[in-house]
Amino acid sequence: MNIVVLVKQVPDSGSERKLDPADNTVARASADNVINEMDEYAIEEALLVRDREGGEVTVLTVGPDSATDAIRKALSMGADKAVHVVDDAIHGSCAVQTSGVIAAALQQLEYDLVLCGAEATDAQLSVMPALVAERLNIPQLSGARKLTVEGGMAKIERQTDGGYWAVEAPLPAIVSTWDTINEPRYPSFKGIMAAKKKPVETKTLADLGLDAGSVGLANATSKVLDFAGRPPKGEGVKVVDEGDGAQKFVDFLASQKIV
Amino acid sequence: MTLHFDEGDELRALRAAVADLGSRYGQPYFLEQARSGGRTDALWAEAGKAGFLGVNLPEEYGGGGGGMVELSIVLEELGAAGCPLLMMVVSPAICGTVIGRFGTDEQKQRWLPGLADGSSTMGFAITEPDAGSNSHEITTAARRDGDEWVLSGQKVWISGVDQADALLVVGRLADGPRGTLRPALFVVPTDAPGLAAHPIPMEIVSPERQFQVFLDDVRLPADALVGHPDQGIAQLFAGLNPERVMAAAYSLGVARLAMAKATDYARTRQVWGTPIGAHQGLAHPLAACRIEIECARLMTQKAAWLIDAGQDAGTAANSAKYAAAEAAVHAVDQAIQTHGGNGLSQEYGVAALLTMSRVSRIAPVSREMILSFVAQHDLRLPRSY
Ligand SMILES: Cc1cc2nc3c(=O)[nH]c(=O)nc-3n(C[C@H](O)[C@H](O)[C@H](O)COP(=O)(O)OP(=O)(O)OC[C@H]3O[C@@H](n4cnc5c(N)ncnc54)[C@H](O)[C@@H]3O)c2cc1C
Ligand SMILES: Cc1cc2nc3c(=O)[nH]c(=O)nc-3n(C[C@H](O)[C@H](O)[C@H](O)COP(=O)(O)OP(=O)(O)OC[C@H]3O[C@@H](n4cnc5c(N)ncnc54)[C@H](O)[C@@H]3O)c2cc1C
Repeated sequence: MNIVVLVKQVPDSGSERKLDPADNTVARASADNVINEMDEYAIEEALLVRDREGGEVTVLTVGPDSATDAIRKALSMGADKAVHVVDDAIHGSCAVQTSGVIAAALQQLEYDLVLCGAEATDAQLSVMPALVAERLNIPQLSGARKLTVEGGMAKIERQTDGGYWAVEAPLPAIVSTWDTINEPRYPSFKGIMAAKKKPVETKTLADLGLDAGSVGLANATSKVLDFAGRPPKGEGVKVVDEGDGAQKFVDFLASQKIV
Repeated sequence: MTLHFDEGDELRALRAAVADLGSRYGQPYFLEQARSGGRTDALWAEAGKAGFLGVNLPEEYGGGGGGMVELSIVLEELGAAGCPLLMMVVSPAICGTVIGRFGTDEQKQRWLPGLADGSSTMGFAITEPDAGSNSHEITTAARRDGDEWVLSGQKVWISGVDQADALLVVGRLADGPRGTLRPALFVVPTDAPGLAAHPIPMEIVSPERQFQVFLDDVRLPADALVGHPDQGIAQLFAGLNPERVMAAAYSLGVARLAMAKATDYARTRQVWGTPIGAHQGLAHPLAACRIEIECARLMTQKAAWLIDAGQDAGTAANSAKYAAAEAAVHAVDQAIQTHGGNGLSQEYGVAALLTMSRVSRIAPVSREMILSFVAQHDLRLPRSY
C-alpha cells in the first residue's frame, strides 16, 4: 500500500502569528514554524496503516526551503521518504492554486491512499482534501475520527457534532483526519538518526510540468485586501454579589446565549 | 576555523522529541508519584523504549551510539518538562559508561542492552557514612573465597535501590592497602543474599528515593568485578565526569522549569494594575537567573563535548556542575519569591523544587569540593585538606 501524507508547515499556533504588511501573506520568516498540528495525526495514521498493511509512506510538502524542518520531523516519526515542492513562484498562492501543485505532484507518485489533516491552523479553510480529490477525480472521505482499510476500500467514521457517519470509498481515496483519530508518536532516537538518511526529492514547478503563471500571489483566485490586529480584550462585566449573584450570573450566561 | 554554538538538526530534534515525551507526563505526574510513594517506572520504560535512556551507549549493545552531549540533553529536557529522572545520572551515565569502557564482553552483553532500553536499571553506591566528600575513607571491602568474592560494608544515600536490578558498588580489595583508595568496582544484584536496603526519609519531593545499604558477606561470582582489578581508579574517573555533567543537566532542567513558571506568573499576575513582571524588583533577578542558566548550559555542553571527544573534562565537568547548581538554587528561590504566597503552595509546584534544587549543591560532589578542586588544579593554590 502506497500512502502519501500531505504535510504543511505553519506558524506555531501557540505563539504570536502575523501577516506581512508588504503583501498581506503569512509572515513565515519571523514565525516559529512547525508542522501543522492536525497533519501530525495524518502522519501517525499513515504509519499505523502502513504497519498493518505494509507499503510505504511518502510525505508531500509544498512550501519554502524552511519546510524541510517539517519534512524531517515526519521522517523521524517514521515516514519512508519525502517530496518537497519548492519554487519561489508559489509564494502567495491561494488554496485553489496550491491544490493544483499538490495534485500535479501526486500524479507523479504512486498512491493508494492520501492522508491529510482536516484543517491547517493558519488559514483554517479545510478545503484542500476536496480540491485535491476533485482535481484527481478520486473520492474524498473528510474529517475522519477512525480509519480502516480493507478489501480495496477505505472506511471512516466521519466526525460530526452529535456522533459520526460511517462512510466508505474505493481506493485510491483521500482521507482527512481530526485530532480524535489517534495520538501521534514522538520521534525515537533511532527515528531521528535515520531521518537524515531517508530520501527527500525536491521538485520545482517545471519538474511538475506546471507554468509559473498558474500559481503565485499575482494570479491567486482570492486576495487578502486588508487586515487589522485583534482588538484588545474588552473590560468584561463585573457582577457584584448583593445576595442575587447567582441570578445575575445565570442572566449573564443567558444573555450570551450560553445557557 | 570552526566554533559552533548551534546544536544542529538532530540534537534539536532530540530536544523536541524528549520535551514532547516529558510533557505527556509532566510535573503533576511526577509530584503525584513522589507524594503517593509511587514510582516513575512508566515514564522510565517509555523513555527507554524510545532509545532516550541509552543514547550514549554503543549501538552494538542496543544503545544510540551517541555520547554525553545527547544524554545530558535528554535529562535536561525531561527536567524542564517537570520529570527529572535522577536515575539517569547513575544508570546510563555512570554505570553504562564504566561497563561500556571497562567491562568484559560478557559483562557488556549482560548489562548494556538492558541499561540502554531501560528494561534494567543500575544504581551506583560509593558514599559511606564516613566517606562522602572523602572517598579515601571507603571501607567496603571484598575478599576472595575460592572462585567467589565476599563483599562487606555499608553505603548511604544510595538513590533508587528499589528501582535498580543491581548496584555498581565501589569498594576496595581486602588485601590491598588502607588509606589512599585503590577502588574495585563490583556489580551487585539488589536481590543478592546479604544485601539489605532501608529507605531514608527525605524532604526531597521526588519519586526517586535514597537508601542505606548494608552488605553483609554478600557472595558474588568472580565476574562481578568489573574489568581488571588494576583499572579501578581509571574506571571511577571515567564514570565521575559523566555523573557531573548529568548532575548539571538535572539542575538545568529544574532551573528551566522554575523559570518557566516564574515568568508565566510574572507576565499575568497583577497586583498594582500592571503585571508584576513590569517591576524591576522582579524582572532583574529573573533576567539574572536566565543569564546564569544560559552560562551553565554552555559549560555543560562544553563538558559533555569534551568527554565525548575523549579529552580532559575534569575542570569543565566540575565547573558545569557548580554553575548549574547555583543557577538552579537561584532560579527556584526567585521563582518562589515571584509567586508570593502561591510560591509555597502545592498547586503551583514551585516549592516542590526547593529541596531538589539544593540537592545539586551537595550531590554527587559538593560545592565546596568543586571550589577546592578548581583552586588547586586551575589556580595552583595550596591544597587545603
Ligand atoms: C539526594 C541525594 C542522592 C544521592 N545519591 C547517591 C547515590 O546514588 N550514590 C552514592 O554513592 N551517593 C549518593 N549521594 C551521596 C552524595 O554523593 C554525598 O551526599 C556527597 O558526596 C556529600 O557527602 P556527605 O553527604 O557525606 O557530606 P560530607 O562529606 O560530610 O560533607 C559535609 C559538608 O562539609 C563540606 N566539606 C567536606 N570536606 C570539605 C573540605 N575539605 N573543605 C570544605 N568543605 C568541606 C561539604 O562540602 C559539605 O558541605 C546522594 C546524596 C543525596 C543528597
Ligand atoms: C505561609 C503563609 C501564611 C500566611 N498567613 C496569612 C494570614 O494569616 N493572613 C493573611 O491575611 N494573609 C496571610 N498570608 C498571605 C501573605 O500575606 C501574602 O502571601 C503576601 O502579602 C504576598 O501577597 P501575594 O501572595 O498575593 O503575592 P503578590 O502580591 O501577588 O506578590 C507576588 C510577587 O510580586 C512582588 N511584587 C508585588 N508588587 C510589587 C512591586 N510594586 N514591585 C516589586 N515587586 C512587587 C511581590 O514582592 C512578590 O514577590 C500568608 C501567606 C503565607 C505564604
